[in-house]
Amino acid sequence: MALSVSEVLPVAAPRTRRQIWSIGGGKGGIGKSLLAASVAWQLARMGRRVVLVDADLGGANLHTCLGLPTPPRTLADFIQRRVSSIEEVLTDTPAPGLRLISGAGDLLSAANIKHLQKVRVMNHVRAIDVDVVLIDLGAGTSYNILDFFLLSDVSILAVVPEPTSIENGYRFIKSALYLLLRAAAPTESVKELVEAALDPKNPQGIKTPVDLLARVEAEDAEAARVLRREVAAFQPRFVVNEVRDVADVGIGHQLVAACGRHLGLRASYAGFVHHDDAVWQAVRRRRLFMADAPTSRAAEEIRQLTRGLVKGESLGHGY
Amino acid sequence: MATDSQAVNLTVLTGGRPSRDDLYAALGLEPRASRDEVERAYRFCLELYGEGSVATYSLLEPTEAEQLRLRVREAYEVLTDEDRRRAYDESRGFLPPDSPVLPFRPPSAAAPVGELPEVLTGADLRKMREARGMSLRHIATVTKIGLRYLEYVEEDRFAFLPPPVYLRGFLQEYARLVGIDPRRAADAYMKRLPARG
Repeated sequence: MALSVSEVLPVAAPRTRRQIWSIGGGKGGIGKSLLAASVAWQLARMGRRVVLVDADLGGANLHTCLGLPTPPRTLADFIQRRVSSIEEVLTDTPAPGLRLISGAGDLLSAANIKHLQKVRVMNHVRAIDVDVVLIDLGAGTSYNILDFFLLSDVSILAVVPEPTSIENGYRFIKSALYLLLRAAAPTESVKELVEAALDPKNPQGIKTPVDLLARVEAEDAEAARVLRREVAAFQPRFVVNEVRDVADVGIGHQLVAACGRHLGLRASYAGFVHHDDAVWQAVRRRRLFMADAPTSRAAEEIRQLTRGLVKGESLGHGY
Repeated sequence: MATDSQAVNLTVLTGGRPSRDDLYAALGLEPRASRDEVERAYRFCLELYGEGSVATYSLLEPTEAEQLRLRVREAYEVLTDEDRRRAYDESRGFLPPDSPVLPFRPPSAAAPVGELPEVLTGADLRKMREARGMSLRHIATVTKIGLRYLEYVEEDRFAFLPPPVYLRGFLQEYARLVGIDPRRAADAYMKRLPARG
């Protein structure tokens, strides 16, 4: 499928400050979609115009989280050019100010969209006239997913307090960071070092971004400075979902400390959401708990989390 | 330094800058940390590097974690022993924790830490904090109180504050760091809380 240049080049810069938020996490089944739906819902409640994008191609279910039937038009229609503009695949939701771009559809290969298609999607998504575009990235650490994560103004990493989820979370962060560094590598030899680091069994013994930066430093101090600046600007925000006790809540602080000390990354802890029966009871009724059980603990925690994420925006990726 | 020659890699690259490898850094602290902070940081690090720690087991080799535990314990033992800590601070050129210099002493332009008013608003607290050149993030890091809660305190957003029993603790920790009387500061702030229904 050929794309014309005009479709691939960035659309004119938005006049208003528009933000892209994304929620990733590497592992499936950790409540990412509900988190995305409820944060988007809350943002809309706070008066933001929000578009929620279900980029969990192949496993899309955000419409169900929001209590909607499968939308008539989805991202697949846009990717396959059955519609001409991204506006045509926007679906209204029960929440005023919140619209959805569903990822559901018949695209067997949708999860593997090509780079240019991705760029086209991203550019058109960026051009939608709203305040916040929130992307649910779905599971996995494919390049597509990591790219969306890196292109976001607010990069949210969801985990649950379980070893498997946290292991995947670290893998997600490390992979994203290496991709970022590879793109920023000023010379071929530095790029080769970054690529070596991508292989966990690399002969150079580079195990963490800290090791990598030390190696680059030894070889090329100027390149190390460039890469450090990228590292400093990459600030994933952890959300710990499904916490059950104080120790679980504390895991978020530990993740931030571990990222700082052992990955050399300035992560932050955006908030946590308790495991709450009100959430799955609402899911069974195919309603969002924010609407169905607004006084529940989880709903209150989502409100706090969202307010915190909004306030963090000036600290975020603003240079 | 004998102790530091065996230092494990605890480099913190916050903001891309390599940081210190001293005993304070091993606990994630700044020099001049209070005894209280050392205790809290030690407990935090024990959990962080404990066997079966969810946050680090997939990040660190068991031998690395063990080294880090030893380092953390060493830091704790030195920094909680007054004589050893003093000797260590001197050898590294750090100021002792009770030295009457920064950051608890307000700059000359700021109001003296004299009498606290009967009633304190969040804005009052913020002024006192800022007069000491202390960031809210620093308080959050040291006390492990969520940054957001500290912001709510300074913004007087009572509805979002935790129940009084926790709030009192938060306020006291805040006051202690800012260098005002913890109990009186907490009382003066909490006077303004609306009755909870």
